[in-house]
Parts: sequence; structure tokens; C-alpha cells
Amino acid sequence: MASSSPSDLENPHATCSYAPLPGGTGDEPTVSRHPKKSAAIFLVCAFLSLAFVVALIGVDKAELNTNEAAVVLSRGRGVDKGVSEKSFRPLLGAENSYPWSSNMLDWQRTGFHFQPKNNWMNDPNGPVFYKGWYHLFYQYHPDAPVWGKIVWGHAVSKDLVNWRHLPIAMETDQWYDEQGVWTGSATILPDGQLVVLYTGSTNESVQVQNLAYPADPSDPLLINWVKYPGNPVLVPPPGIDEKDFRDPTTAWKTPEGKWRITIGSKVNKTGISLVYDTEDFKSFELLDQVLHAVPGTGMWECVDFYPISKQGENGLDTSIDGPGVKHVVKASMDDDRNDYYSIGTYDALKGKWTPDNPASDVGIGLRYDYGIYYASKTFYDQDKQRRVLWSWIKETDTEASDISKGWASLMGVPRTILLDKKTQTNIIQWPVEEINRLRTNATVFKNLVVEAGSLVPLELPAASQLDIVAEFELDEATVMRLNDVSDADVAYDCAKNGGAATRGALGPFGITVLAHEGLIEHTPVYFYVAKGVDGNLKTFFCADQSRSSSAMDVDKSIYGNVVPVMKGEKLSMRILVDHSIVESFAQGGRTCITSRVYPTKAIYNNAQVFLFNNATAATVTASLSIWQMKSAQI
Amino acid sequence: MNHTTNTSSINMKLLLLLILLSLTPTPIFGDKTLIETTCRATPSYNLCMSTLLTNPKSSTADLTDLGLIMVGATKAKATRAIQQIKSIYRSHPELRRSLTECGQMYIAVVRADVPSAVQALDGGQPKFAEDGMADTAVEAQACERSFTERGEKSPLTKVNRDIESVANVARAIIRMLL
Repeated sequence: MASSSPSDLENPHATCSYAPLPGGTGDEPTVSRHPKKSAAIFLVCAFLSLAFVVALIGVDKAELNTNEAAVVLSRGRGVDKGVSEKSFRPLLGAENSYPWSSNMLDWQRTGFHFQPKNNWMNDPNGPVFYKGWYHLFYQYHPDAPVWGKIVWGHAVSKDLVNWRHLPIAMETDQWYDEQGVWTGSATILPDGQLVVLYTGSTNESVQVQNLAYPADPSDPLLINWVKYPGNPVLVPPPGIDEKDFRDPTTAWKTPEGKWRITIGSKVNKTGISLVYDTEDFKSFELLDQVLHAVPGTGMWECVDFYPISKQGENGLDTSIDGPGVKHVVKASMDDDRNDYYSIGTYDALKGKWTPDNPASDVGIGLRYDYGIYYASKTFYDQDKQRRVLWSWIKETDTEASDISKGWASLMGVPRTILLDKKTQTNIIQWPVEEINRLRTNATVFKNLVVEAGSLVPLELPAASQLDIVAEFELDEATVMRLNDVSDADVAYDCAKNGGAATRGALGPFGITVLAHEGLIEHTPVYFYVAKGVDGNLKTFFCADQSRSSSAMDVDKSIYGNVVPVMKGEKLSMRILVDHSIVESFAQGGRTCITSRVYPTKAIYNNAQVFLFNNATAATVTASLSIWQMKSAQI
Repeated sequence: MNHTTNTSSINMKLLLLLILLSLTPTPIFGDKTLIETTCRATPSYNLCMSTLLTNPKSSTADLTDLGLIMVGATKAKATRAIQQIKSIYRSHPELRRSLTECGQMYIAVVRADVPSAVQALDGGQPKFAEDGMADTAVEAQACERSFTERGEKSPLTKVNRDIESVANVARAIIRMLL
């Protein structure tokens, strides 16, 4: 699990990358064992922050004498222990920003979600299965828990669950990526060799595409990377702004046997996806027309393009095409920070894709996830014949809290992607099967009858790391009998209709997690069923953060959307709870919601789970299996 | 077009111009159209205009530069807030806890939000600059709450409100770059 990178050894007396702090003493920390430049920079900053607080406190010597301050200062220098920014917490203790104690902030760290040991992460990059190892690269700012000058972090896994952190794969060491080694993708060539295309932000902040490859292809860990000396291989074409040209995809084969990639951009407010063909990843030919364009959607980031099987239960290699295949286009919308996808038909000869349903086009229709979910990327796992989706899940607390925690962001649990064979109009996303190996200590509840307006506590050994699988049945007779319906109910909107506390005839009902016993804090995940005047039911799936925390400085949105329910199907949901992240899947993964929550009371032993039915008319019968989740090695 | 209204609106503009001139040591009029249209699309036109027009760099600025000037103004205000917090700390030791919290929040603004926003604007990833300014506004509100939630009278109400406003103006400008 060694994460120290020997290449970062130099300069233990790195200066703070930020302006000096008022009240700082100018002392520099001494760095001994495993010194890391990045850690050192953050430490100096952390130390100066500490010095500021000490300076404040030092004014009032009656409160804290200078000797005590000196003791704390020396503790704050514990770089050699690798504790970095955490070392200044003891001083803050009671002084921590209201209401955040270090105990609360510590609880937010997850047990089975991928994240670097510290500092900032964003997009997943170049995910690939290579010589027996899953590789995950990621946008990483090694100096602070906030976005900045980005490098490629790197980790490997045998099972997508337990991870080993490796040294930084690519640094900002060339003119063509001086301002950042940004997002990119990996392609496996027919001979098994690996190439990576990534966006570099040049010394003049122009977005260009660069080629990189493993220094030693026989090394399954792919520790060292070489940047092609002829970089950049692509610069913004005429008519494209130099700052609107980023995030190349994995390449796929054209009918002529060339490689093809697509890169997101925009023209005015129209989001577009440029297409390039290449034979060697060094020289490229821009196609006359774009893969796809949608007016009004703004800049397309992190475009993804891949085939899905109409019939099969396996994922498909990116180059697969033919009559049994549909193609998905996904783009991350810079304007609203959400990942949108659409299913359609790809014309390989023209390099053009057309949505099945123009009303549900990229950027205006379906989303991978209706919560916090951005800059996602899939890869084809040739070992298990599946397509796997990674995504960046950001923080929704304050930067001041992130600095106290020393980290920001995590990756969602990787999901497999398949076409929904029943609806044919959406994909199915489901946590990779390996995550089930973390399940332990199951608690099963069979046919619990939950009357309208009632709350049922579920006795569990603990509730901060859970996998919950639940099925619900609405009382059929009530649903049939219900006449006083209006189409207003069918226009229900999770975000706008008051959340889990607002009652209708047939909902909301579901599970509330990270709940304090008095429901001072809780995060309900629920269905809301609406009956139209035509007698048809419409089901919504929502997650309500509005009461997730007593703290005022965290986001408390309500998320959700419609979920298709086929005739004869029970309502089902799966919820993965892992401290500050809650991932919810409805109807086997037709609609997904990722939440970030920061409770102050419903933590550790005070976190509980309740079943609830806030409907006014219908009784609900629920069956649940709830597993405790072991922590993964991360 | 109504002639009278037109004249009076011109007079109003002249008056505004005179006020701005009197506030500006060296009057700068560069791409005033850009500055005006930009500021009209922010939540505080006056704050936006006065901040941009008093900065000599605005004369040759493009939209990104205007965003950077506004982020710079946010930094200046937050830095001043930290100085003020230190001085109030001496005169009002009873507010120690709240002031320390506010200090931490504005340190986060100056050391994390602002540098991140500058890097993001320079580098053409405005969404991270938007995040930085959105956080700044939240930190300003949180600072104010530090006092109110303890039943204290905040000595920083105006400072916090100013910082929130300037961060919201910066955010609005940055959104035009997305």
C-alpha cells in the first residue's frame, strides 16, 4: 500500500504555494522520513493556518499560554508520521468550525469507496484491465484538498474493490501539459499494447491532446509512463476555442480498420463531439461532421461512446458494431455538472450517431444518476466481458471542512452497464458483483406491514456501512379504489414537491438511512407513486437530503426522477451506505441517485435505519435484506 | 421614442458617470460595453461596475480577465477580513470562538478557493472557478452564523455580506465562461 513516490523527494523546504499567512512565524517544518514535496507544501500551508490560529489565541495569554502553543506547534510538524494535515486538529478541538468536531469529520471518510489517501481528486482516467490488474488513474491535486494543478494519480486492484496506491503516473513536466495533465482514456491495441490519449493544458493554457504509453509494457503495474516526444498530437481545430477541446475517448475501430476517437467541445452554446480517425495515434484526420451535436447544451466534457448489446447479457468491446448493437453517447455538461446519456444508432461509415428518441437526446434527457455524479467514464473489462462505469463524486460541504478533513472527493462504486431489455429505452446500472464480497452479518426482514403514516425502526448492529436490498408492494385494493386523483400528482417532482415529509395517497414510502433516533437527522430514499386520471401509475424515485444534517453549511438538495416500472414488477431498491456517501438504485438500476451527506448526530453508534410509509392511503408491505459492509483495502 | 425620457436617462447616466469618476483616481474606459453587459447579468450591477471600473486592468480585459479581477476583489476583501478578525480578537476576546472559526473559513477562501479559481480561469476550466466562488459565498454565510448561533452580535455582518456579494458577482461572470 506504499504511496510515497521517490520522485517527489527533493525540496523538503518547499515554500507554501499560497500567499503567506498573516500572523505566520515564518518557521518551516523539518521533513524527515518519506518526505513528499506535495505533503510538504500542504503541511507548510496547514502549519501556517495553525500558526494563524495560534496567533489569534496567543493574543489572549490567559486562555492559552505560549508554552502550550509551542507544544501544539511541534505536534503540528508531525510530517514524518505521515499524518500531515490531521496533526493540527488537536489544537482546534473545541475551536473547530461549528458544528464540526474532528470526530464528525473523521466519520465522513468512507470504508469501501475508492479515494486517494489525501487531497483532491476528480475525474477517473484511463480505466483499463491490463495483465491481470484493474488500473484506475484519476485527476489528482497532490498539494491540497481543492482543485489545482492536476497530475494523474494511479492505483491498481485485482477485484475493483481492494486497491493499492501507486506513484503518480504523469506529472506536469512538459510545456504541453504544464498547466495540467487532464482527463484521458486508454486503448488496448490488438497486440496487447496500451496507449493513452490525454488532454494537456499547455504553458499558455491551450487544450491539446497528447499521447503516452507504458515505459515497460511487461510491467503489469504500469508504474512508469513515457510521453510521446512528438506531443501534442492534436491541437484545437479552426473554429474551436483553444479552451474548449478536451477529454479524448477510448479509440474504436472504423470499417476501414483505422482507429477513431471523439472529443467534446462546443460552438456557441451547442455541445458537440468532434471525430478524428488515426492509424498510429500520432497523426489524426478530423472528420467533416461531428458525431453528434445538441443545441443549447453548452460545453461537452468527458464524452463517452460505446456499444451495448440488444439481447446479450455481456458488455461489448468498444469496437463492436453490427445489427445486434445499439450505441450510447454520454457527455458531462459543463453548464449543470451532470452526466447525460442517450441510446441511439451509430453510422460507422459517416461517423455519425443518431438518438432513438430526439426528445431524450444527450443533455436534455436521461442521466446516469440524479444526484452527485460527474465526469464518468466506462471501460470494457475483457476479463469478465462487461462494461464498467467509474465516476467522480464531489464533496458538497465547505472547503473549510475539506481542509480540516484533508481530502475531497471519491469514486462511486463501479457499476456495470447493460441495455434494459424490458424497456429498451434506458440502461441498467448495477454495482459490480465483487462489492458483494464485502457483505457480512445479514439481517433479514420478511413481509413487514407498514401502515400509512408509520415508521418502523430496523434493529441493526451498525448502520454506517450497509448494503440494503428492499422490495415493496403497495396494497392493491387501495390503489384500485383510489379515485380522487388528478394529473397534478402525475407531474410530481422529487426536488420541488417538498421531499419525504410531503404526503400523497400512494407515497412517499421507503427507507431512511443515517437516521438519528429522534429523526433530528435522516436521509430518506423513497418511492412516490402517482395515479393519473387514466388510472395508470407513475413511479418516482427520490433521495431527500433536506434533513440529512443539522449543519447549515452543506448542500441539502432533494434529488430524483421517474423510474419505469413494468407490469407485474414489485418496487425494488438497493442502497449502499458508506458514511458520507449514499448510492441508491431503483428497479434493478433503471434510475440511480448518489447523495453526499454530512450528519453531525446520526453517526457512529447513533446512526440507524427506519422503514417509513408517509402515504395517506396505502399500506405497504416490505421485505428487506441488510448486510453490514466490511471495509475494503484502499 | 420619448424624447424627455431619453434625455433624463442620459442625465442619469451622466450623473452615474460623474459619481464613478469621482470615485476613480485614474478614470479607465476600455471595453465599457463588455463591462456593462457583463455587469448587467450579475446580481449586483453597481458593485460589479465599481469593482471593475476601479481596476486599471479592466480597460483591456476580456471576459476571463473580468472574472479574474472579481476573484481578485474577493481575495482582497477576504484578506482584509482576516486582518479585521485579528484586530477584533484583541478588542473582543469574548468572541474568541466565533472569530477563530471565521478566521479558518476565510483562510480557506484565501488559500484554497481563490488560488483554485485563478488556476481554473487561467486554465480554461471555469467550473472549478465557479465552485470556488460558490464556496466563498457559503463560507461568508457560515462566518455570520458562527456568531448568531451562539447568540452573539456579529461584528462582521457588513464584511460577510460584502464578501458574499462580490463572490456572487464573480460567480455570475464565471458562469458566462462555461
